[in-house]
Amino acid sequence: VPADQTRRAVLAATAASLPLLALSGCKGVGALATPPRPAPDVAVLKAAIAAEEVMIARYDAVITRSARLAGSLRPLRAEHQSHLVQLRSRLIVPPGSAAASPSPSSSRSGRAPAGPGREPAGAAAAISYLQAAERHATSALLHQLIAVSPSLAQLMASVAASEATHVAALSAAGGTGLP
Amino acid sequence: VTGTTAPAGPAELSALQAALSAEHAAVYGYGVVGAHLTGAALAAATGDWIAHQVARDRLEAKLRSAGAQPVAAAVAYRLPHPVHGPAQAKSLAVILEDRVSAAYLGLVALPGAAIRAFGAREVIAAAIRAAAWRGTTVAFPGLPAGALAPRVASRERREPG
Repeated sequence: VPADQTRRAVLAATAASLPLLALSGCKGVGALATPPRPAPDVAVLKAAIAAEEVMIARYDAVITRSARLAGSLRPLRAEHQSHLVQLRSRLIVPPGSAAASPSPSSSRSGRAPAGPGREPAGAAAAISYLQAAERHATSALLHQLIAVSPSLAQLMASVAASEATHVAALSAAGGTGLP
Repeated sequence: VTGTTAPAGPAELSALQAALSAEHAAVYGYGVVGAHLTGAALAAATGDWIAHQVARDRLEAKLRSAGAQPVAAAVAYRLPHPVHGPAQAKSLAVILEDRVSAAYLGLVALPGAAIRAFGAREVIAAAIRAAAWRGTTVAFPGLPAGALAPRVASRERREPG
C-alpha cells in the first residue's frame, strides 16, 4: 500500500506539472495495447523542434565554410541551441507512445519544406540564405502558436521574436550594416 | 478595432490594459531616452517613440471598442536607473522594450486567435527594437528567466545547457 500511495503521489504530481502528459495520457497509462494519442501540442512541438534542428544544421554548414562569418554566427547559433533545449524540455510524452521516440522519417520530412535549399557559396549569399531561413522560421512559429497551450504559445512567440531579431544581426554579421 | 469579432472577456481586457500600461511607460521613457541622444541615435529613438504612441493609440481603441475605459498614463514614472548620458539612455530603451515584450506575451496566452497573433507580432516588433538598442540579440525576448526553469528536474537534467 505505501508503494501504491507513492505511485499515486507521483501520478498526481505529474498531472499537475505536465499538462502535455495529462492531456495525452487521460485514456489511462495502463492501457498497453493502445498508446495514448499525442495532444495537439506534441505535433506542433515536434515540428518546431525539427525546424530548430534544421536551422542549427544550416548555421553549422555556413560556419564550417566561412571562417570570416563564424565568429559572428556562433552567438546566433547558440541562441538556436537554447531554443532547441527549451522546446525539447516541453516535449514530454508517455513512455511507449508513438510520440516518445522521434522517428527518422518525421525529422526528415520536417527538413524538406523548411525554406531554402542547399547552402550557397560566398558570404553574402550565405547571409541571405540564413536570413530567409530565419524569416521562414518566424512566420511558421507565428502560424503554429495559435493552436497550442498558452504557455507553449508564449515560448513560441518569444522564440519567433528572437529569430526575427537574427535577420538584422545577420546583416550586421555580413558587413552590410543594419537594414 | 480590426479583425476581432468575439467579445473581449475579462482576461483579454486585463491583458490589453497591461500592454497599454507598458506602452504608456515606453512613451514616457523614450522622452527621457531621446533627451540624452543626438544624431542617428536620436532619430532612432524618435522613430521608436512614435511607434509606441501608435501602439498605445491602437490599444486604447481596442479597449474602447470592447466597452472598457483604457488605463491612463501616470504623470511621471520612476526610472529603473539614473539616466545621465547616451549609454544609460540606450540601456533604458532596452528595459522599456523588454517590459513591452513581456506585456504583449500576456496577450499570446489568451485563447483568441486574433489577439494571440496581434500579441505575437508586437512581441516581435519590441524585440527588434530592443536588439537594436542592446547591440546584440537574446534567445528569449520578453520571457522572464524563471519561466525557462526546468519543470521536471529528473527528466530535463539530462538536457545539455
